[in-house]
Amino acid sequence: MIPAAGGPGAYVCPYCRTSAVGVGRSCPGCGAPVDVAAKASVSGWLELPAARDMARIQCGRSSVQIEGTMVPVADFALAPGEGVYFPHHELLWKEPGVVVTQRGLKGAWKRMMAGLPVHMLDAVGPGRIAFSRDAAGETLAIPLHPGASVDVREHIFMVATHAVAYDWFETGVWFRTGTGDDAETHYPIGMFMDRFVAPSQPGLLLIHAHGNSFLRQLAPGERILVKPSALLYKDSSVSGHMHVERPRSSAQSLWTWGERYLWLALGGPGRVAVQSAYGHTHDPGGPITGGATEYRW
Amino acid sequence: MDAYQRILCKWCNGQNTNPTQCAFCGAPLDVQNMVSESGWREAPRLRDMTQIQFDRSTCQVEGEIVPVVEINLAPSEWVYFEHHCMLWKGDGVPLTVMNLQGPKRSFLRMPHIVTIASGPGRIAFSRDAAGEIVVLPLHPGMEVDVREHAFLLASGRVSYSYVRIKGLANVLHGGNGMWLDRFVTSQAPGLLVLHGYGNVFERTLAPGESIQVEPGSMLYKDASVTLQAETIKLSSGIFGGTSMYLARLTGPGRVGIQSMYHHHESGE
Repeated sequence: MIPAAGGPGAYVCPYCRTSAVGVGRSCPGCGAPVDVAAKASVSGWLELPAARDMARIQCGRSSVQIEGTMVPVADFALAPGEGVYFPHHELLWKEPGVVVTQRGLKGAWKRMMAGLPVHMLDAVGPGRIAFSRDAAGETLAIPLHPGASVDVREHIFMVATHAVAYDWFETGVWFRTGTGDDAETHYPIGMFMDRFVAPSQPGLLLIHAHGNSFLRQLAPGERILVKPSALLYKDSSVSGHMHVERPRSSAQSLWTWGERYLWLALGGPGRVAVQSAYGHTHDPGGPITGGATEYRW
Repeated sequence: MDAYQRILCKWCNGQNTNPTQCAFCGAPLDVQNMVSESGWREAPRLRDMTQIQFDRSTCQVEGEIVPVVEINLAPSEWVYFEHHCMLWKGDGVPLTVMNLQGPKRSFLRMPHIVTIASGPGRIAFSRDAAGEIVVLPLHPGMEVDVREHAFLLASGRVSYSYVRIKGLANVLHGGNGMWLDRFVTSQAPGLLVLHGYGNVFERTLAPGESIQVEPGSMLYKDASVTLQAETIKLSSGIFGGTSMYLARLTGPGRVGIQSMYHHHESGE
C-alpha cells in the first residue's frame, strides 16, 4: 500500500486526484504508476505518466486494461448493462457478441461541416471491446468525479463510459484575415471543442495523446502560450484566444520581416494539458483583421 | 543439457539452453509474458542487438522505436523481401527479382516486387514507422498468412505466395481487396520477420472461437484461421444508413494484430 498522501492509509493520485485506499502498482482511477516519483519540469509542467503496461482501471462494474507502450490499446471488459461510446475509427477489435449501434448526435450537419466525427458509436456489455489510435503516443485516462467536466480538443477523444455526458461547443478561438468579401475566418484548434461532464455518477474518459503529454495548473490570471495543435484538454475555467507574436527585425535580419507566430493564449485558473507531437498550424498569411491579440517585439 | 533442463520459449515454443534469450525468435526468456485479461499476449519486446541464428546466417535486431533487422547471409543462403523495406546493403550482395505467379499487385501504385538477396554479405531492413519486429520461426509444415506489405523478410527455405481477400478495406479506401502473403514451410524450418505498427498482440483462438477486428489491424494468422469480411449496418438519422467493416477471424489457430493500423490501397 502507498503511504498516506491525503489521510491515513489514503492515496491521492497527483494526476487525476482520485483517492483510494490500498492501491496496487497503478492508480485505480487513471492507471498512472503509483510507485514512481512525479516528474515535474523546472518550468512547472508535470509529465503525465503513461499507464503501466497491463494497468487495470475500474469504472463501475466494468474495467479497462491498458496494453502496450508505443501505441497502447484500451481493452474494456464491459459488465452487463454498462457501456461506452466512441468515434467509429477508434475501434480495434471486439467480441462478436458485443453489439455496436449508432449514437444520436445533435447538430450532425454542423459537425460534418466542421470536420468532426459524425458517427459516434455505442457498445453495451456484457463483453469485451478494444480501442486504439493509429499514432505513437500515450493513452490517458481521465476519471471524472460527479460534477466534474473537461474540455478536450477535437479528434483527441478516444472512448468514454456511459456515465459521462458528451456535449460540444464553439471554441471562440479564431482569427480573421482579409476584409470585405475576402475576409476569411480561421480556427486553429477547430471550430468546436468536446466537453465531457459526469453529471451524477463517476465516469471514465480516455484520450490519446500524440507523443508525450504534460499538465500544468494555471493560477488565476496566469497566462501561457502554447502551439494551438498541441492542446490536449483544459478545465472549463481556462479561457483561450489566439495571439500573434512578431519578432523584432533589424537591418541584420530583414529576412524575418513579416514573420509571425500563431499562439493559443490560455488563461487560468485551471488545468491545461499539452502533447509533444502536434500537427503544423497553417498560417494563411496576409494581415490579421480580427480575433487575435498581437504583440510586436 | 538434457531435454528436461531446456527452457521453452512461450512465444515460439523453441527449446533453449541459453536462459536469457530464445535462440529461434529472440524473445527474452527471463521476463514474464504480458497477457491481458482478455487473452491477448503482447509480442515480446526484443532487446536491442538481439541476435538470432537461422541456418548458417544470422539476424540481428537493432534499435527500439523503428527497429532495423540486419542479416548476415552465409554463402549460398538467401532471403527475400519487398523492395521498399531495404535500408542498406553491402556492395557485393547480389539482388534478383522473384518470379511471381498469379494476379498482379501494386504497392503505392508501384509494381509489387519481391526481391532476393543472396549471401555472402550483409543487408538490413526497416519500415518507415514506429513499431515492433516480430520474429516468427516457421517449423516444418507450417503455413502463416500475413497482411500485405507487413513482412520484412523471409529466409529462402520459406515458400511464398499470396491470396486476395475480397471485401476488406476496399469500400472505404478505394482499393480492390486485401492481400495476404502466404508463407509455407515443407521439410525444413525457416524464418519469417514482420514489422507491426505500434504494439503487436497475439492470441490463440480455439476451434470455432471468433473475434472481430478492424481490418487494418490484422497482422498475421495461422492458415487454419479463417478470415471473413463483415459489414455492420449503422443507421444515422438524416444521413441515412452507413456501414462499418470488420474482419471476423475464426479459430483454430494464432492471430496477431497491431495496435496502429494503416490502410494501404490495394490496386490491380
